Amino acid sequence: MNKRTIIAPATAPGRGGISVIRMSGTDARKISEEMCGQRVEVSRLKKCNIKSSDGLTLDSGMVVFFESPNSYTGDDVVEFHCHGNPTIVDLVVEEALRLGAVVAEPGEFTKTAFLNDKIDLAQAESVADLIHAQSKSAVVAANSSLSGDFSKKINLLIDGVINARVFIEANIDFPEEEIDEKSFSVINSDLCKYRDEINDLLSVVKGGVRLREGYSVAIIGPPNAGKSSLLNLLAREDVAITSETPGTTRDLVRTSVNLGGVVVEFIDTAGVRENPADLIEAEGISRSKEVIRKSNLSILVQDVTDQRDFDFELTDHITVLNKSDLLQGDSLEKGRLYLSCTSGEGVEDLLKVILSKLGVDEGVETAYLSRKRHVVSLQGAKLLIEETVVSLNEGQALELVAENLRSAHHMLGDILRPMSADDLLGEIFSEFCIGK
Amino acid sequence: MNKFDIIVIGGGHAGVEAASAASRSGVRVLLITHDESKIGEMSCNPAIGGIGKSHLAKEVDALGGLMARAADRAGIHYRVLNSTKGQAVRATRVQTDRDLYKAAIQEFLQSSENLIIKEGSVIDFKIEESTIKSVITETGEEIKAEAVILTTGTFLGGVMHTGLEQSPGGRVGDPSSDKLAKKLRGLDLKVGRLKTGTPPRLNKHSIDWSALISQPGDVPTPLLSYTSKTEDRPQQLNCFMTRTNKKTHQIILNHLDQSPMYSGVIEGIGPRYCPSIEDKIMRFSERDSHQIFAEPEGLNSDLIYPNGISTSLPLSAQRELIKSIKGFEKAEIVRPGYAIEYDFFDPTGLKHSLETKAIKGLYFAGQINGTTGYEEAAAQGIMAGINASLRIKNENAFELKRDEAYIGVLIDDLVSLGTKEPYRMFTSRAEYRLILREDNADSRLTEKGKSLGIVSDVLWKNFQQKTEAAKQETLRLQKEKLKPNSSAAAKIQKLSGERITNNTSLYEMLKRPRVLHSHLPQGSDVLERNVVDEIEASVKYEGYIKRQKTDIERLQRNENTPIPNHIDFESVVGLSNEVKQKLSEARPESLARASRLPGVTPAAISLLMVHLKKERRAVG
Repeated sequence: MNKRTIIAPATAPGRGGISVIRMSGTDARKISEEMCGQRVEVSRLKKCNIKSSDGLTLDSGMVVFFESPNSYTGDDVVEFHCHGNPTIVDLVVEEALRLGAVVAEPGEFTKTAFLNDKIDLAQAESVADLIHAQSKSAVVAANSSLSGDFSKKINLLIDGVINARVFIEANIDFPEEEIDEKSFSVINSDLCKYRDEINDLLSVVKGGVRLREGYSVAIIGPPNAGKSSLLNLLAREDVAITSETPGTTRDLVRTSVNLGGVVVEFIDTAGVRENPADLIEAEGISRSKEVIRKSNLSILVQDVTDQRDFDFELTDHITVLNKSDLLQGDSLEKGRLYLSCTSGEGVEDLLKVILSKLGVDEGVETAYLSRKRHVVSLQGAKLLIEETVVSLNEGQALELVAENLRSAHHMLGDILRPMSADDLLGEIFSEFCIGK
Repeated sequence: MNKFDIIVIGGGHAGVEAASAASRSGVRVLLITHDESKIGEMSCNPAIGGIGKSHLAKEVDALGGLMARAADRAGIHYRVLNSTKGQAVRATRVQTDRDLYKAAIQEFLQSSENLIIKEGSVIDFKIEESTIKSVITETGEEIKAEAVILTTGTFLGGVMHTGLEQSPGGRVGDPSSDKLAKKLRGLDLKVGRLKTGTPPRLNKHSIDWSALISQPGDVPTPLLSYTSKTEDRPQQLNCFMTRTNKKTHQIILNHLDQSPMYSGVIEGIGPRYCPSIEDKIMRFSERDSHQIFAEPEGLNSDLIYPNGISTSLPLSAQRELIKSIKGFEKAEIVRPGYAIEYDFFDPTGLKHSLETKAIKGLYFAGQINGTTGYEEAAAQGIMAGINASLRIKNENAFELKRDEAYIGVLIDDLVSLGTKEPYRMFTSRAEYRLILREDNADSRLTEKGKSLGIVSDVLWKNFQQKTEAAKQETLRLQKEKLKPNSSAAAKIQKLSGERITNNTSLYEMLKRPRVLHSHLPQGSDVLERNVVDEIEASVKYEGYIKRQKTDIERLQRNENTPIPNHIDFESVVGLSNEVKQKLSEARPESLARASRLPGVTPAAISLLMVHLKKERRAVG
């Protein structure tokens, strides 16, 4: 158990019904019993008066004790449930500090749980995701990852790869022990199965990454077509400065909008002109190109009265014709999107098209909340297993087959328990807030 | 009183390499052994090499050691195992004549400078301030030394079992070193117990050879040492094979209650990979036959070593089971098989230099550290010899990393992980297997050996010639191109199944699957097998080796992060008690070594890393 006893409020700061303070570590029990003046009981909420050392009652609340290893962190954990007042919370924490506890670092509770093997890394990540989830589907998906469903799938794949490795390595190290040829074809078909499973998992995980990170949509187009006006319309507040002068938006302006349960970030880019007025504008243009490359979708905004060539390379995009209020009603072409940022007409249709283009179907549930690193590892593992299958079929040297399998094993292992101690962990746990 | 720089105790495979390496490096060495005539004795099967083991033997050779050269002087049957697989896992195995092997080793030692051999038995050490000072022999003589290398093999507390009969001793006819064992048990070292076994030896003339399957050696016949010549080798013999059958297995099952192993008499743990026939039948109950190689013990020997049926059953049962085997129906057992139990010292009590952590100047090498096998012993012996000499010269220890040599893998595994069963080398233990090959042991190690002053002029010259030849040939392969419509190109195309459309260098051609150097148009120089092998391997593995090198570089950062001696692992925030205890016991010298300790998770390493950073900041 951890000798360091950590403490922090587990609920958000501010006034409310109840604030929970969590304490974890060897002395958690001792400190809490001293503060409450009575013995705590395992997994049972007890009413108590929390007192300071000079005998003054700080709050009348509840206390509950979770005994190691049956607690969130795996160490002894005590929770104080006190009245939701930041001053009370501060006083209770201070008293515990006086008795030897230290203030927890952000994410330290979850990190302790990870270090005590209560959860693996993918589960730890989903704790952070659960806290930050902004839509119902994200909450459902984060819970599914936290419960270990995703980890279980990865563990099964790892077991399969280990099995194949054991077989191949035995063939290399015991060439005189006759290993039957049939087993080779079994290993081969097993590997194909794992490859397909990874493929299935990848499509789910990619959806999970988008769900977690949200989508980004670039708003692009020639100068003064009304890109910033569209962004303001979407944000329903003035985020971007608009003016009559072309080339006003030289920097990128972003706003996030919750569209049907998913978070979509719209990015307003600088208008693109043949001859930028100055260096700053030129720099803005090059940034715009970068944004377009990284976005899931682009909206090309054109002034319906002044449509110009726009020779950026665009893959996925929607063209919308702005300033429809300046047109006569009969000149609208069918099948085209019209919009008036001044009146707001056409914005509902535009949003529908955006959602369908992004592939956000509200009926589908995304199973897991995932991260890019999961995708990278899974893709790497898939590639290596594919190579393994090819080299087995081609009768390639077995030590190269073994090499690919080893790397695939590491790739999959990295998802749950990274082999390299780089700064990955620090990075992951820094996303947490204090108290988790 | 007599005084030496280094005293080596034991004349087995570890002891002779240690004594020889130390003497080559120029310090004064005394080798003490029970029986001078038994120096270099092969006490188990008469073979050197095999998967993972030949790699070790070649590495010892590349550092100027004795084993591979002696094996070539005694080699009567050579085979390359895994010859259908790639270079990295190919392994030479040499059947040897025991007498020739022993004679070669003894000759090498006798011609060594600064080396004195003494018959005797060490019964005590003098240790002052945790530093070794001298040894005391059974006659009461005290001999001083600055370093002592203990290579006593299975002699420590050895007990032999044939059936339920027991007798003390390490090898048939040798006394067990009981007094020394008692002394060592009193020191601050952790002791464990292991077991190993040997098969009964058969009379050559009582075997029906016509019923066995004949196995000729490989042609062209390889050599194990980089400096051996074809004419060093004796006459070559065939090897013969037979198999156990259902009847054999039934006999063993019937007598299992008389096997010390299964009746619970032996408490030590036996090797998983070279199990007794009792073990094999219990563990692989679905198989009704196992291979037996009838290996000749020597050119002039009447003894046959039936490799594959090591056993500790009583003699009557051994007779019965031998008779059930095809070709052995009338075979006569000259010497029964037996199991032997012995003490070993937990190798986690050693530094990477093989010096004990508890006593300065005391080194352990060989079976005493829990390994099995001649090659594993020799590898530790040469390293202990080198390091003891460096201690005398007040120089830093010589360590090999896991990506430099199987020797590095062996020692790092032992001192970081310890062992629960007799440790033998396998290629799968090496994560950088593609880099650690038979063909390049000299490229990896001979320069290091040269700077340690322990390689001969012949080896050094050969190595330089080989390096130059490989360089020239690689240049030629890169420069010469094949035209798509040439007949040479057509041949390559057919082999690899890929079309050749442009003028392509021979080097690129060699990258293609199934294309060997011998398929390419040859240059004017006749190349040695070693040169061709090294070129082929480095071209074929190029992509994979690049990947491994990035891994190595990434890990190198941790390898180069030292953990200071004074660090208190208890004070590292966040570590579990279990990990703290493991780190405190092992006291790893670098982050990378800490990460290889069992139970030390990458997360724990992160915490340790943070702690070290903080500490450095506080100091700096």
